[in-house]
Amino acid sequence: MTQPAEGERVERAAALCFFVAMLAAIGLAITYWRGGDAQFEGVLLAVVTGGIGVGIVLWAKHFMPGGEVAEERETLASTDEEVAAFTEDFEAGETPLRSRRLLLTSAAGALTAFGAALLFPLRSLGPRPGGGLKRTAYAPGNVRVVQADGSPVRPSELPADGVVTVWPEDHTHDADAPTLLIRTRDSQDFTPRSGRGDWTVEGIVAYSKLCTHVGCPVGLYQAEEGLLLCPCHQSTFDVLDGARPVFGPAARSLPQLPLGVDDDGYLIATDDFSGPVGPGFWDRGR
Amino acid sequence: MRRLLLTSLPLVVTAAVTALMAVGASAQDDPGDDLVAEGRQLFATGCVTCHGADGEGVEIVDGSAGGPSLVDAGEAGAYYYLSTGRMPLNSPGEQPTRNQPAYSPDQIDALVAYVASLGDGPALPDVDLSDADLANGGLLYRANCQACHSASGSGGALSYGRAAPGLADATPSQVGAAVRTGPGQMPVFGPEIVSADDLNDLALYVRYLKSPEDPGGLPIGRTGPIPEGFVAWLVGIGALLALVFWIGTRSPIEKPAAERHEPDEEDDA
Amino acid sequence: MLSRRLARWVDDRLGTAQFARTVLNKVFPDHWSFMIGELALYCFVILVLTGVYLTFFFDPSANETVYRGSYEALQGVEMTEAYRSGLELSFDVRAGLVMRQMHHWAALLFLASIVVHLGRVFFTGAFRRPRELNWMIGVTLLVLAMFNGFAGYSLLDDQLSGTGLRIAYSIALSIPLVGTWVTSLLFGGEFPGPDIIERLYVIHILLIPAAIAGLLTAHLAILVRQKHTQFPGPGRSEDNVVGTRLWPTYAAKALGLFFLVAAVVSFLGGVFQINPIWIYGPFDPAEVSSASQPDWYMGWLDGALRIMPGWETRAFGYEVPNPFFPGVLMAGLTFTALYAWPLLEARVTGDHAVHHLADRPRQRPVRTALGVACLAFYLVCFLGGASDVLAQTFGLSVNAILWTFRVAVVVAPLVAGWVAYRLCKELSARDGVPTASRVTWRQIPGRLRHGVGAEPEPDAEPAES
Repeated sequence: MTQPAEGERVERAAALCFFVAMLAAIGLAITYWRGGDAQFEGVLLAVVTGGIGVGIVLWAKHFMPGGEVAEERETLASTDEEVAAFTEDFEAGETPLRSRRLLLTSAAGALTAFGAALLFPLRSLGPRPGGGLKRTAYAPGNVRVVQADGSPVRPSELPADGVVTVWPEDHTHDADAPTLLIRTRDSQDFTPRSGRGDWTVEGIVAYSKLCTHVGCPVGLYQAEEGLLLCPCHQSTFDVLDGARPVFGPAARSLPQLPLGVDDDGYLIATDDFSGPVGPGFWDRGR
Repeated sequence: MRRLLLTSLPLVVTAAVTALMAVGASAQDDPGDDLVAEGRQLFATGCVTCHGADGEGVEIVDGSAGGPSLVDAGEAGAYYYLSTGRMPLNSPGEQPTRNQPAYSPDQIDALVAYVASLGDGPALPDVDLSDADLANGGLLYRANCQACHSASGSGGALSYGRAAPGLADATPSQVGAAVRTGPGQMPVFGPEIVSADDLNDLALYVRYLKSPEDPGGLPIGRTGPIPEGFVAWLVGIGALLALVFWIGTRSPIEKPAAERHEPDEEDDA
Repeated sequence: MLSRRLARWVDDRLGTAQFARTVLNKVFPDHWSFMIGELALYCFVILVLTGVYLTFFFDPSANETVYRGSYEALQGVEMTEAYRSGLELSFDVRAGLVMRQMHHWAALLFLASIVVHLGRVFFTGAFRRPRELNWMIGVTLLVLAMFNGFAGYSLLDDQLSGTGLRIAYSIALSIPLVGTWVTSLLFGGEFPGPDIIERLYVIHILLIPAAIAGLLTAHLAILVRQKHTQFPGPGRSEDNVVGTRLWPTYAAKALGLFFLVAAVVSFLGGVFQINPIWIYGPFDPAEVSSASQPDWYMGWLDGALRIMPGWETRAFGYEVPNPFFPGVLMAGLTFTALYAWPLLEARVTGDHAVHHLADRPRQRPVRTALGVACLAFYLVCFLGGASDVLAQTFGLSVNAILWTFRVAVVVAPLVAGWVAYRLCKELSARDGVPTASRVTWRQIPGRLRHGVGAEPEPDAEPAES
């Protein structure tokens, strides 16, 4: 412990800490009464708790017994006699249970069945995973594509290097349907996938916006190179080559949406995407 | 005398009208023509090496100077690059970054007029913040811009070393110009996708992002959980370990057994 | 005296005097590194206190509403009630923001102190018999804390945490056979589904905190029963514990430390802004910001997702999608290895003795090297999670950074482990004391298979005395 003169100093220091804590508590009350302010609240609370904490620690370190004391460790395991006594009593109770095999097995069966039956309500937590993961609201065919505010898009409204996010009409809140409309430059070498020659309109191509890695929206369009970059894990897709992944953890191209134009000149999706959108799952290919 | 006046009247009137028209016409043409002409002169000294005598572009061959065509750059494109000092480049092939503009505002006006005269590029939008809607600007920003420029406007990484720049220094006109022209890797947002009113709202929100409300205290970079994690470890755990060190006595740790012998031979893998 | 009469009254009914006396006299060894677990405990207490306050204001509902609070830049914007109540706490509830920030900083510190504590226990061999059970309880606490932290910041339904939920959904989706079922039952349908916020709320405020509280009680009870380990020193042996008595000194220091932890959390909560949800905006599944990272303790997982090359296995229309390998398999292996470590080490060293004396890390070069190698692995993954921010800050190519990490994730553990091994050997040699190593690298595969006690291997070291 501490020497007398030094002890007085430490005692005064600790008391000062407590006193400062008191003042800070008053300050905290005033701050709150006057409308609050996160910075004042945090710092004053820190002074209150810090003052009390330092005061207590100084008290403990300097004025409480600090010498070393030894305590014996007993063996943790029970003695052989204790274990034997326990085993005897336990087995005495166990034998009547064991002797009635029929009762034991049928009771165990009933309890297991009860446990299994209790799990059934968990099934109500969600619907059977159906074809929903493989279909979007474009499926009926010839669905107009619209912007977030519901307005349809004419091809002429999208300039070269332009990109806009669209949805199926009346489904602008569907989380699986956001679609990127991109107009590539004439000078860029766009190569349609086989069988998709008529999927573009005037150089405008449409891909699912959901990354095939873990489903983040692929929001970064790098117009000079026709690359789509996903900001989550840096998967990169080549817009000029069917949105094939060229870097990063994504292993599949972004599904493409076949575009057409309806009688009023607005862009439509003639069919659903070329494949299930977004991240993969066990039976995606079936 | 009256016959002289009568015969000469049509002549006088014609002459007067012609003179007036000539004066009126040159009053209309002159500033525009002068500006374009001034621009052409500035262009000839500062830009033709890379962009060609008529802005048609010069193909880059083996690291020599070269640059894209400016025919469709328009007012917006020229204004963006010149007012942010991205052009002229210090050396060809480097990525344009924000810099001190190399030209005065008047010179920039001249160059902008000249480049606009080269073709059909986008006009410089007239961005007016006086009636703009901040909340709508935020919606537009998060829908169109945050993927590259980040939610706080601090910019973001693109592929292969490029970056979308931070927006802290962008003026409303520069925001408007960039949106309409799509400089570099940036896409183009036309008036049917981002209307003129939308653009005002967007520019207002970008201005707000320069000094947003930070009621929580020090914003530590506004880059999200990364600096937060740094602070938690450096400041938080650092302080806690220091306190724990102060509180706990350092009991001496004894080396096992007083035996001393040679350090181990190389008997391990 | 009033307290004496009160104590008498309680003892009369419960007979506590004898038990209380044993407790008061319990001896705790004094090394500063033994107090790190307490840091985690106090962070948990602060989390509960601030958390209860927040529950009085937070509304875990996915119902859509329009914002009419005092934050100008979101006026009239559509959002869920959950997000709106988060904004209300931040701008319109007095002391709401400081409580929110203290709660979040305390969560970050909770996990950081658990990890440092785990490191202390690992590198000093304090998980050995008889403490294997307590180690496993500790690993469970780590897992529960991670999940609860993730669930907690996802409750606010802002753009950043919603992106994280989407990623979690997709990782669960990638589980072969049952992935689509797991996600459908958890989320109530396809992402995002109407139920996830409410379900995470129950998990976050009730289920996991109750489990943590229960396991913490067991963790501390076992510690008190088995007594704490101690470093070797004068007067210290396997048969005693030397230090300070609980009453009054140790209890006072513990109480003081609690207040000091509260002070650090309060300071952070007021001075450093954290999770500014108003800038992120409400969650929209079609939008995302650049520089989207999870909180630090999930960073290793996010980084592993980024570093993983685009490999996927497909056959007969079935597939094991890419995120499964880093997100489920690697993560699962991590925690399995953590759980199994005491048993694995005992098997490989053949050391089944009771240990109450802690090791100095330099005395156990193989264990220390393996631990350092693992830390290096997770550190590379962790840095990978910051790939885009690193690229932007240092003007580098994010692609080059990720390629570098792909190599580093294999090379760095090997190099770090080797350096740690040599350092242990060197420091031990300078101490003039041989290491207590009971196994050589070459022996490990054989011993994992057969244990110790089989025919003597050709490279076996003579036993250290």
